[in-house]
Amino acid sequence: MNRTWIVVLLAAALLAGCWGTKPGFEKAGFAYGCPIGDAKVSSMQDLVKLKVVSEGKRTTIQATEMRCTLTGDLLKIDASLNNDSSRVKRISYKYRWIDREGMRAWEEETWKPLLMYENSNLTINAVSPTNKAVDFRLILMSQE
Amino acid sequence: MIDSSRTRRLALLPLLAAAALAAGCAQEQTRYGDARSVETVTNTFGSTDLQLIAESMTRSMLQAPVIVSGNLPIVTVQEVRNKTSEYIDTRAITDSIRAELQKGGKVRFAVDAAAMKQQIEEVQRQQGEFFDKEQATQKGKMVGAQYRMEGNITSIVKQVKDIKDVYYKFNLQLWNIRNGLLEWSDEKEIRKTTTKG
Repeated sequence: MNRTWIVVLLAAALLAGCWGTKPGFEKAGFAYGCPIGDAKVSSMQDLVKLKVVSEGKRTTIQATEMRCTLTGDLLKIDASLNNDSSRVKRISYKYRWIDREGMRAWEEETWKPLLMYENSNLTINAVSPTNKAVDFRLILMSQE
Repeated sequence: MIDSSRTRRLALLPLLAAAALAAGCAQEQTRYGDARSVETVTNTFGSTDLQLIAESMTRSMLQAPVIVSGNLPIVTVQEVRNKTSEYIDTRAITDSIRAELQKGGKVRFAVDAAAMKQQIEEVQRQQGEFFDKEQATQKGKMVGAQYRMEGNITSIVKQVKDIKDVYYKFNLQLWNIRNGLLEWSDEKEIRKTTTKG
């Protein structure tokens, strides 16, 4: 009798495990916590390509990773940058905030200067200025 | 004789043209620029520093629990003390911070000490005989702030023959007026180095 109960309980636990929500699943329209709309993003590389833009003088600094989360009702972003050259690089960056309709949710940010040591990684973080900002672009420019 | 004088004058023409061209090149040129670009004309406190500080402080304050709570806290802006060796209009920094926060719609601002005189004058003016008594602002209706914002800006300047290094540290605090608790504080550091040659 006892053995039957154990088998039944084990089977129930197994089923519950199979039917439970798998960790790591994201809402539609999001990848790595970042809003992507209808874009097809299947890797971190795709996400970086979608979100990082170069303006003005091009830089060799590469964005390698990007993760987003919500802090209250504001979007919080961590972007990892990599300088794989053997020289110190100077760049500037800013975020462009976009609202639900695809319009600018905030005025243009100030360009923020950044120094990156040779062969180094750096994570820059940002918080959206308003809860109207539901999407963003990270803009990089060389300052050399 | 006349021919020789003419030849000499003709020979001067290219020289005059070159001089005019050089004068033209040296003319001043004024163009509009990007107000938010990185400014590195000198290493004294500049527009980029002001904008970086204002943006960094605003974004940080938006994450403070008293702001996130969504109760639209009422804040008054107090002095940001300039402890650097140079002249910095600290009011311009707090004005930018206030404008950004106000625009974000998560904070309300009560009249600060600097604007109090104008506020009182306007309320008193409305008590005059020329104003409709029913619509005029009555005395004793102003709302006091729950929090006060104050800060400091300090700098360390080091200079040797060909190098000048300036380090700025801006600190901003949000104090609860009722209980004297520090509700939020953050800092922004900036380093600028100028090398000659």
